[in-house]
Amino acid sequence: MAWSIEVKRNKGTASAAALASLLVIAAVVLLPGCGGKKEERVVRMGYLRNDLHQLAYYVATEKGFFTDEGVDVREGGAFNAGPEEMSAFSAGALDMGYVGTAPAVTFAAQRMADIKIVAQANQEGSAIVVRPGIEGEDVAALNGRTVAVPGFSTVQDFLLRTALKKARMKPTDVNETTLKPPEMVQALSAGQIDAFVAWEPYVSQAVSQKSGRVLVSSHRIWPHHPCCALVADSKFEKEYPDLVKRVVAAHVKATKYINDNMLEAIDMAHLFTGQPRDVVKPAMSNLEYTYVPDVAGVRRYVVFMKEVGAIKVKDPAGFTRELVDTRFLPGVNKS
Amino acid sequence: MRKWKIISPLVALGLWQLLAGTGVLGKTPSPVSVAKGLYELVATGFPPGKYLEWHLLASLARVFAGFGCALLLAVPLGLLMGFSPAFDAMMDPLVEVVRPVPPLAWLPLAVVWFGIGTFSAGFLIFLGSFFPIVLNTVLGVKSVEPYLVEAARTLGAGRRTILARVLTPGALPSIITGLRIGMGIAWMTLIAAEMTGVKSGYGIGYMILAARDGARYDLAVAGMVVIGLVGFLVDRLIKSGEKRLLRWR
Repeated sequence: MAWSIEVKRNKGTASAAALASLLVIAAVVLLPGCGGKKEERVVRMGYLRNDLHQLAYYVATEKGFFTDEGVDVREGGAFNAGPEEMSAFSAGALDMGYVGTAPAVTFAAQRMADIKIVAQANQEGSAIVVRPGIEGEDVAALNGRTVAVPGFSTVQDFLLRTALKKARMKPTDVNETTLKPPEMVQALSAGQIDAFVAWEPYVSQAVSQKSGRVLVSSHRIWPHHPCCALVADSKFEKEYPDLVKRVVAAHVKATKYINDNMLEAIDMAHLFTGQPRDVVKPAMSNLEYTYVPDVAGVRRYVVFMKEVGAIKVKDPAGFTRELVDTRFLPGVNKS
Repeated sequence: MRKWKIISPLVALGLWQLLAGTGVLGKTPSPVSVAKGLYELVATGFPPGKYLEWHLLASLARVFAGFGCALLLAVPLGLLMGFSPAFDAMMDPLVEVVRPVPPLAWLPLAVVWFGIGTFSAGFLIFLGSFFPIVLNTVLGVKSVEPYLVEAARTLGAGRRTILARVLTPGALPSIITGLRIGMGIAWMTLIAAEMTGVKSGYGIGYMILAARDGARYDLAVAGMVVIGLVGFLVDRLIKSGEKRLLRWR
């Protein structure tokens, strides 16, 4: 069977050649990495289109903060909704991204995306808005009313349930329904719903159109509750910790810039979101631009999601510790 | 022949399980996890407490409301357009201009007119299924052999009798084809319409989007399977109705 030996030998040579070339490729790819050259990589950044909460991204880009930090941040995708952005993470199409805490926690808990929260983008910035004609100054006004939330187990869903609980009301005391925030404003002005819980700028949009008024701000329901965050792909974070650190540094700079230059920030928010200044201005006063994640706040939200059956995690505290990674923040513990 | 029918679904299922098992498809849920998801939809519902049967009923109600209205308006309109060349010439430009507009493009207006919920979804479904039914009805009437109409006329039939006894039965096969196409488009429109939000919190399309938001892709695919099966059954129902109606052939 000379034939088969021939083939075998050929196979042997082929695999040896393949192995050798693999080693060469590996050497070419990996060796310069040891010299620190691999840090020169583009960071593919995701964010939500027109989202006021993620203003720091726009400011950092426009003011050249990323360039100052020596990091090449490019737009990896502008998304309409957090879950869309998170599925881009599970497809490996993004390295870092600005996204809501809710989709970040959901996709991480379901193991659909392997990510870490490396910084906060903002806290608060949501409210319960009621249509004209609904009397009352507190949550009791919602008794028997139709209230729209952006989705099951969202932060806004949690805010509504928390507000009801505080007022000693049951979730069934209101007729909860699901709408996407742009539709909420329309539905409220048409009187199809009595109230909604949404994030800015939809709150201020409804108010400026006189379609509704703020019944309770999220600040009163849950002070400093987590909202949008800056997340990083876990593999990317392990491979390029220095890049993550630089992006976070630029983000911190941008966040401080917003807080120190509110008037200019309002103009920039107007350009970023396309919303008129008289919507952007009150909207921005309802939210806190901050960069330090509140681990206890995220944990509280994770516990809620577990309670309503949205995610299955055995140990919410351990899961949150894993998820929130503050190593990259300047001045925060370096453990 | 019957046993051949199950081959393509079985092969697709096997291939799917194989690919999902090896991880080639990334985070795609496997058929087994989808089957478990289907059970979860029935047993605990998604979001928890909102059971599959209610999602399905809400969607079916929207489809049949929209499709029913389309049927009631489109068939008479199509019969008249096929019967009277003058009426056809009058209506045709309007139909041909409105027809290419995708039903979903009407969404913003539908919300203004009918609000959010069954009526606006029903309106979009109506728009989606209306035109295939009209066009196929016109086609059906025009395809009736002229000698049949002549024969009826020679036997003394009036315009009304010809329309009711010759043209309508003659057009029936084509009308039913229109109904089948219209029903398919109705489902497509329904899912997209529900994805923008529904007031009642029920609907298969709504459920799929909620599952997506919750990173429950197994449930989302389970919803797709339900739509596929129900669409298949409805099509079978129309087909068996066709056989019964067209026994005279």
